[in-house]
Amino acid sequence: VTADHWTFVTAAYGLTAAALVLYWRRLARKERELQTLARKSSPQHRPRA
Amino acid sequence: VIRTLGWLTIVELLVGLVMAFGVAPREVTQGNVQRIMYVHVPLILASYVAFGVLAVASVVYLIRRDAAADRVAHASGEVGVLFVGLGIATGSIWGKPTWGTWWTWDARLTSVAILFVMYLGYLLLRGTIDDPERAARYSAVLGIVAALDIPLVHFSVYWWRTLHQPPSLMKPGGFTGSTSILWPLLVNLLAFVLLYAYFVAHRVRLLRAEAEVTA
Repeated sequence: VTADHWTFVTAAYGLTAAALVLYWRRLARKERELQTLARKSSPQHRPRA
Repeated sequence: VIRTLGWLTIVELLVGLVMAFGVAPREVTQGNVQRIMYVHVPLILASYVAFGVLAVASVVYLIRRDAAADRVAHASGEVGVLFVGLGIATGSIWGKPTWGTWWTWDARLTSVAILFVMYLGYLLLRGTIDDPERAARYSAVLGIVAALDIPLVHFSVYWWRTLHQPPSLMKPGGFTGSTSILWPLLVNLLAFVLLYAYFVAHRVRLLRAEAEVTA
């Protein structure tokens, strides 16, 4: 009977899921940072001369 | 549109998981460890799509000097490197119980490692040049040259004697296995292509916003 090696299956799917979620969270964080930067550089936030 | 694409991708990935673990049969010779194929093969094929798009966008950039094409190439390169890196890692995890080793320098594994390093170099090159126009131009040339490795990776299993098995899907004569394996594989392939499209669309939007903020 062939061994199933479920540990390896879990490792492959777990690693993929973790890396994809981390990349997605990185994109979301970058988006928040850019929104903050854009708000700061908008005309309402610029100091009056 | 990006949000809808995101939800569609999540649904497709969940269907893919159900197909891989609930519908696909337990493989006779390898046992359940063969289920790694339903993530490993789609990751590698989606990375081919990513690098193909990168090459086309790079050609468009060099002809038209269109910043939008450069952003597509940049985003596609980033997602392609992530996918091919994961493809190598999942292949290595699959290789240990089936081949008895995590890694071997056969033609397929070596050529895919070169592919990974070349596109990693592509991203590093983009990051090291301050002038955006020069960075776009140099990386476009590298992106086109690196794409020449894709057929080498794919056909390496035919051209040299390798430990890696021949392609499951893209081969002369088409898929010859059972449809109970083919459908889960195709559903997962679609899921990863959708995920690629979602990540690229999101990243392109961020690159455009970055360019606007720094302008």
